Amino acid sequence: MAYNIPERYQDLTPAPKLDKKTLNKMVWMSCFLQASFNYERMQACGWLWGILPGLKKIHTNKEDLKASMAHNLDFLNTHPFLVTFVMGIVLSLEQNKVDTATIRSVRISAAGPLGGIGDALFWLTLVPIVGGITANLALEQASILGAVIFLVVFNAVQFAIRYFLMHWSYNLGTSAVGMLTSNAKEFTRAASILGIFTVGALIANYGSTSLRIAIADPAINVQSLLDGIMPKLIPLLITCGLYALIKKGWTPIKCIVLILVCGIAGTALGIWTGNSQAIDENGAGINGGYNPLIQWYEYPAPAPAEKTGQQAWDATQGVVDQLAEEGINVEMPE
Amino acid sequence: MEISVIQAIMIFVVAFIMGIDQFSFLESLYQPVVLGPIMGAILGNFELGVVVGGAYQLVQIGSMPIGGAQPPNAIMGTIMTAAFAISMGLEPTADGVGLAVGLAIPFAVFGQYAVTLTFTIMSGLMAKADKCAEEADTKGIAMINYTEMAILGILFGVLAVAGVMGAAALGDSLRSFSFQWSWLMAGLDAAGGAMKFVGFAILMKVMMSGEMWGFLLAGFVMANICAAVPGMSGATLLMCAMVGLAIALYDYQMNTRIKENAGSNAGGFTDGI
Repeated sequence: MAYNIPERYQDLTPAPKLDKKTLNKMVWMSCFLQASFNYERMQACGWLWGILPGLKKIHTNKEDLKASMAHNLDFLNTHPFLVTFVMGIVLSLEQNKVDTATIRSVRISAAGPLGGIGDALFWLTLVPIVGGITANLALEQASILGAVIFLVVFNAVQFAIRYFLMHWSYNLGTSAVGMLTSNAKEFTRAASILGIFTVGALIANYGSTSLRIAIADPAINVQSLLDGIMPKLIPLLITCGLYALIKKGWTPIKCIVLILVCGIAGTALGIWTGNSQAIDENGAGINGGYNPLIQWYEYPAPAPAEKTGQQAWDATQGVVDQLAEEGINVEMPE
Repeated sequence: MEISVIQAIMIFVVAFIMGIDQFSFLESLYQPVVLGPIMGAILGNFELGVVVGGAYQLVQIGSMPIGGAQPPNAIMGTIMTAAFAISMGLEPTADGVGLAVGLAIPFAVFGQYAVTLTFTIMSGLMAKADKCAEEADTKGIAMINYTEMAILGILFGVLAVAGVMGAAALGDSLRSFSFQWSWLMAGLDAAGGAMKFVGFAILMKVMMSGEMWGFLLAGFVMANICAAVPGMSGATLLMCAMVGLAIALYDYQMNTRIKENAGSNAGGFTDGI
């Protein structure tokens, strides 16, 4: 990276508090958090787009705006409906011109845990319940009411949460930040510790790269041997390797190309696990996720069909039971 | 199936909007229970569309986009299920449309490929985003966001129109294509899954110093432990954040106390004690 993000802003006088109108504008913009989602930085660019109205008001110094925009392009992955919480906190820190390293650490630490909370709230609770009820309305009465209720309930909840979190966390952040300025150096260090701890957790949590190779007869899965040494060892090693490369001066784009080449070359040889989602004429998936271009080992056959069928049945029954407990009647498929 | 030009345009527009909505905007328009009736209205059988939406919504509940996972695409799935159900004149019941759900799967898989491809290409555009930031070019940042939305919208629009017109024959060739090139598609999947490590490495460059390695490993191990316990793996990051917070707070308090004591000690020495 040619541009070095400065550790401190040039203009260190705190900016005036953001008005309600700007905050509300950013609540709307937060809907486009994932507009430029990608595998490298995930929501970074959409995040920056969302908080730009606030950043432009806070950083009247052009050099500071550049620095702030540059560091707000760090990797970010949080829950799209809860993101305004992170926005409020980060904006309050930006407004008080806290060190950039501190803002970066706080941002990743606040964003990470929200992902799990949001998934549990929305995709595992709200959508199954509202979706289940409205789907039954649609199926049994062929009624458009299902779609209408779904849209109204889902969006009412979504926007109430977005709006509340933005204002609440911004006020919380601005009132807390004064306390920190007296021990800024210690706070930066503590924030970095939390940040780096979170990055470590992210590597294990989101790292999915694993080996497909099976050797010997009866087959031994090499990945399970590695898991015996340390689970998620490969994601950790890749991240550390990339860290070394970036420290050497590699650009992120060069790293991306390297990963793309290694990824495709690897699956051609059957090294990495990967899911092609491809199906054959009978609708059955491919054993092992895909067929390597060069097959130099035998991928073990899956467990007997009766057992997997029973497991699938049990899993479906479990979902149906759970839905029944919540008052939704779903017929078991034949 | 046979559709008019106006129907084709309407399908394109709907798929364009849904392609964007699945990640941005309301994130609810694309849900099958909503999309089904819309497709039914366009293709001339509203009631069947409503039922297809309901049926596919139940399929979808089992495969949510959790933690960055990308299940077979719900939009292409719903659009094609509606198209098959209506062109074959299936009965408007949950069991009746089951056949159409099966036929739609190759298209749902291709919808997923469209997403994977877009996310891979956009990883390359992050270098451009960095450049825009360095020049405080706010319009450029907006432009990058519009670019991905346009790519996604067009890919889904084209796929949907081609799918509805090509129907089962196209489904077959899509299926055999993905079967033949499964290693390439799996390669994109594997590479896509590993690209986030670049983002992590950039974060490490910001925060890492020699004494921080222990904390990185501690966070890594903590997440591994939480993820291994069934029933609490969903809360992994929250639990890790709490442990991390305890460590950070302790460090903060110790260091501020040392700083204060250092001050009073220095005072003590000058007093000659």
